[in-house]
Amino acid sequence: MTVAVRAAPGSSASLWQARRRSLKTIARYAAAVAITVIFLFPVFWIFMMAFKTPDEIFSRPPVWLPADFNLDTFKALVRDGDLGAIWTSLITAGVSTIFAMFFGTIAAYSLARFKTGGRNLAIGILSQRMIPPIVIVFPVFLAYVFLGWIDTFHGLIILYTAFNLPYVIWMMRGYIEDIPIELEHSALVDGWSRWQVLLRVVFPMARAGLFATTVFTFIFAWNDYIFALVLTRTEVVTFPVQVTSWFGQQFVFWARIGAMSMMGTLPIFFAVIVFQRYMVRGISLGAVKG
Amino acid sequence: MSVPRATAAVSEQWVGGPFGDSRFKYFLIAPALFIMLSIALFPLINLLVVSFQGISIIAENKSFHGILNYQRLAGDSRMWKSLLHTVGLLLVALPIELIFGMAMALLFVDKMRGRQIFVALLVLPMVIAPIVAGATWRLMFDNQFGPINQIIGWFAGRDVTIVWLADSSFVWPAILATEVWHSTPFMFIILLAGLAGVDRSQIESAQIDGASAARIFFKIILPAIRPVLAVAILIRALDLFRIFDIIWALTRGGPGTVTETISTFTFVKAFEQFDTSFAAAVAITVVLILTAVTIYALRRIEIAR
Amino acid sequence: MAHIRISSLHKYYDSVHAVRGIDLDIRDGEFTVLVGPSGCGKSTMLRAIAGLENIDSGTIEIDDEVVNNLAPGDRDVAMVFQNYALYPYMNVFDNIAFGLRARKFPAREITARVQAAAETLDIVELLKRLPRQLSGGQRQRVAIGRAIVRDARLFLFDEPLSNLDAQLREGMRVEIKQLHQRLGKTMIYVTHDQIEAMTLADRIVLLKDGSIEQEGAPLDLFERPVSRFVAGFLGSPSMNFLPAKLVENGTYLGLRFADDVTLALPAAASQRLASRVGQDVTFGVRTEHITPARDGELDDGFVDLLVTIDLTQPTGSRTYASFKLAGVAVQAELRAHDVEQPGEQIKLQIDMNRAIVIDPSTELVI
Repeated sequence: MTVAVRAAPGSSASLWQARRRSLKTIARYAAAVAITVIFLFPVFWIFMMAFKTPDEIFSRPPVWLPADFNLDTFKALVRDGDLGAIWTSLITAGVSTIFAMFFGTIAAYSLARFKTGGRNLAIGILSQRMIPPIVIVFPVFLAYVFLGWIDTFHGLIILYTAFNLPYVIWMMRGYIEDIPIELEHSALVDGWSRWQVLLRVVFPMARAGLFATTVFTFIFAWNDYIFALVLTRTEVVTFPVQVTSWFGQQFVFWARIGAMSMMGTLPIFFAVIVFQRYMVRGISLGAVKG
Repeated sequence: MSVPRATAAVSEQWVGGPFGDSRFKYFLIAPALFIMLSIALFPLINLLVVSFQGISIIAENKSFHGILNYQRLAGDSRMWKSLLHTVGLLLVALPIELIFGMAMALLFVDKMRGRQIFVALLVLPMVIAPIVAGATWRLMFDNQFGPINQIIGWFAGRDVTIVWLADSSFVWPAILATEVWHSTPFMFIILLAGLAGVDRSQIESAQIDGASAARIFFKIILPAIRPVLAVAILIRALDLFRIFDIIWALTRGGPGTVTETISTFTFVKAFEQFDTSFAAAVAITVVLILTAVTIYALRRIEIAR
Repeated sequence: MAHIRISSLHKYYDSVHAVRGIDLDIRDGEFTVLVGPSGCGKSTMLRAIAGLENIDSGTIEIDDEVVNNLAPGDRDVAMVFQNYALYPYMNVFDNIAFGLRARKFPAREITARVQAAAETLDIVELLKRLPRQLSGGQRQRVAIGRAIVRDARLFLFDEPLSNLDAQLREGMRVEIKQLHQRLGKTMIYVTHDQIEAMTLADRIVLLKDGSIEQEGAPLDLFERPVSRFVAGFLGSPSMNFLPAKLVENGTYLGLRFADDVTLALPAAASQRLASRVGQDVTFGVRTEHITPARDGELDDGFVDLLVTIDLTQPTGSRTYASFKLAGVAVQAELRAHDVEQPGEQIKLQIDMNRAIVIDPSTELVI
C-alpha cells in the first residue's frame, strides 16, 4: 500500500490535481448536458410541430425552429371541437382515479392492518396488475358488447378503476404500514370508531402517499391507449385516441398531433416534477423507497 | 386469486372479533374485490370458455371445440414469430436500458450543482404516453421530414434517405431506439435511488484499501443494489412483454408482420380479423405464461414483503 | 378510580403462547408496574387490558364488570404509548383535545380541560406548536396530558420513558410519581427497566415467559426474591451468583466452593437447609453485602475473606471491585478509596444473613 503525501499548497502537484479535478467536473457537466439534450430533443421536436406552418413541417431538410410561433393549430383544434378529447380524458381518468383511490385505500387498510386474506391475497391482487392490457380488454370487450357499454363513459371509467385498483391497493398498503400503529390504537382508546380512525388518523397520516398515488394512478389512466382504442368509437374519444386518429392513410396531420401531444403531456410533466420525491416509490411498486 | 376465507387465521392479530372487526375488514375490501373480480376474473373465465368454442367472423359457433384452437395456435407460425419478436425485443432492450440507466445513475449519484434539475428533466420521457412517444419517434424517423436522417446525413456528408419504418432491416433498430428512449429514465431513476442507498463507508474503506473503481463497482455497489436491480428488471420485463402502444404507433406490426409482437398479434386477430375464439386461446396462453412467471418472481424478490 | 381483576388470561400469537394463565388483582388507586425482559408478555397484558389485543381465554374485569367484549373506547381507560403517538398534523392543543372530541364534550369544556391539563404539566406555552417542534421531553408531557385530560378511571403506560435520555428519564419518573399521588388514579405501568419499576411501583409484578414470577412491594421482591431470576433481575449491579456445595461446618452448615473455600451460613439458614446437606446449590449475594471488613469481632452471620482485587470501577461515591472466588468473578461494593490499584489485597466481609441459596435444578430460592 502506498502512503499519499499531501503536497503543500501552491506546489505544482496540487495545481495539477486541482486542474484534473476541474477537468473532471467539466466532463461531468458536458456529459450531463449532452444526455439531457438527447433525451429531450424528441419532446422538443413533437412540441414544435404545433407551432410550425405546413411548409415548415414538410420541408427538406427539416426546419428545427418555426419562424414565428403561430397558434393556428391550436385555434383549429378549438374550432373543430378536438379539445373535447382532453376533456374526455380528464373525466374518464379523473373519475376512475377517485373511485380507485377510495375503494383501493380502504381495501389497502384492510390488508395492511388486519392482514385480510394473508400474503396470498395481496400477491394475487398485485399479479392482476401484471396481466397484459390486451388480455384484459379482449374479454371485457366481449362483455361490454353484450351489456351495451361500448363507447360509454361509465364503461371506460369502470375498466380504468378496475385496472388501477391493484396498483392503488398495493401502494397504499405500503404507505399505511408505514404509519405507527400506536396512533390508531391511541385514537381507539380515546373512543373514536373504526371509520373515524380511518378518516381522522389514517388518511391524514397517509396524505403524502395518497397524493402521490393519486397522481400516478391518474397518469396511468390518462396515458392509456389500448383500452380506449378497443372500447370506444365516436362518443368517447380520449386524447391518445384522438392523436392517432390523425395518422391518415394518405396524410398525417403532424401539426395537430404535436399540439394535442403537447396539451396531453405538459400537465403530466408538471405533476411529475411536483411529485418527484415520491416518483421512485411510485414506479417501483413500493419496493424502492427512494 | 385466493378466496379470503382460506387464510383468515392470521387476520385477528390486531384487534379481535368482538368489536365487529372481522366484518369491518371484509367490508373494507369487498368493493375493491368485487370490481376487480367482475372486470378481470369473470371476463377471463368467459375468455376461457370462448377459447374452447368456434366463434369467428364467419361463424357464431358456440359448440364445444375442445382444444382445436390451441392446436391451431401451436401450429401457427405467425403467432410463434410474434412471440419470438416479443422475447427478442425484451432480451435486447432490457440490457441496453439497464446499462444506459446505470451509466446515467453513476454520472448523477455524486452531488453536483443543478443535479436535481437534470434528474427532473431526464425522467420526463418515461411519463409521456407511450402512444405519444411512438408518434413522436414516427415523426423523428420520417424518411423525408424527420431529423434523424438529417443528422445522420451531416455525419455521412451526403443525403440519407433511410425509410426506417418500412424497411425490414431498419425497423427493429427504430423500435428499439424508441423503447430505450422511453424507458431508460425508469431504470435511471430507480438505480439512482438504489445507488444513493449504498453504504458510503464501505466504498470509502475499499478506496483506502486501494481497490480499483471497477472492483468497487462489481464487488460492493452491485451486490448492494441487487434487490433494487431485481425489482427494476422484473417491472421492465413485464412491461416489455406486453409492449403494444409504441409498436402500434410506429409500425402497426409492419412492414408485413416483421414487427408483430404478441400483443399486436392478439389485437389483430381479435379486433381486425374477428377470429374471436382463436384470439381467446392466444390470450389465455399469454396469461398462463405470465401468471406463472410473475407469481414466481414476486415471491422471490423484495416487492412482496 | 378502578380495581382490576384478571383471571387465567391466555394469549397466543399463532403458535407462540405469549401469556400463560395470569391471575392478578389490582386495587383501587394502586400504582402497579409490570416488569420483565422483552417477550415476557407485559405489553401484551397491558394492551389486552386496553382492549387493543384480543385474548384467547380468561377474563378481564374493571370494577367488577367483565370487559372482554368491550371496545377500547368503551372501557374508560387512558393510555400513554412508548412512541408518544402524537398526531404530527395537529398542534398540541388539538392533540390533547382529540380524546375529548371523540366523546363529544362541549367546546368550552374542552378548552378549560386542555388548559388545566397544560398547566398541570407546565406546557401552556406549547399549545399552539406542532409535535415536531417539541423536544422529546415535551412530547412526553403532551402524551401524558392527552391521557389525564380525559379523567379516565384507569391509566395505562407502555414504556413511556424508554425513548428519553437518562437525565430526562429521571425527571419524568419523579413527575409521573407525583402525578399518581395527586390524581390517586389506578395506574398500570409497563417497563423493562428495573430501576423504573423499583422507584415508581406500589407493587411490582415481575413477569417471565408469560407467567408471573413474583409480585409484591418493590423492597419485598428485592430483599426476598423467590427465584434466581427475580434476584438477578432486580438490583444494579446485578447479584453475584456462585456454584457451591452445602456441607456440615461445625455447629452450623457452610457453603464449600470449588477451591475448598468454605463460607459459614448463619443459624437461621442452617436450620432451614439442614435436610439438603451434600446438595449442589447456587450462592447469591448482592454487591452491597460484600464490603471491607471492619476491625475487631465480626457481627453475627458475617464471614470474612482475604482477596486480591483484579479490576476496579470507580463511580465516584463508591467503587465496584472485582475479585475471583473459586475462579468466578465476584463484585464487591467498596468506598471510594478502599482500593487504589488492581492487584491490591483487601479483607472483605460478606453479610451471609442477606445472601440467598438457590436450588440449581429449580432455580428457586431455598
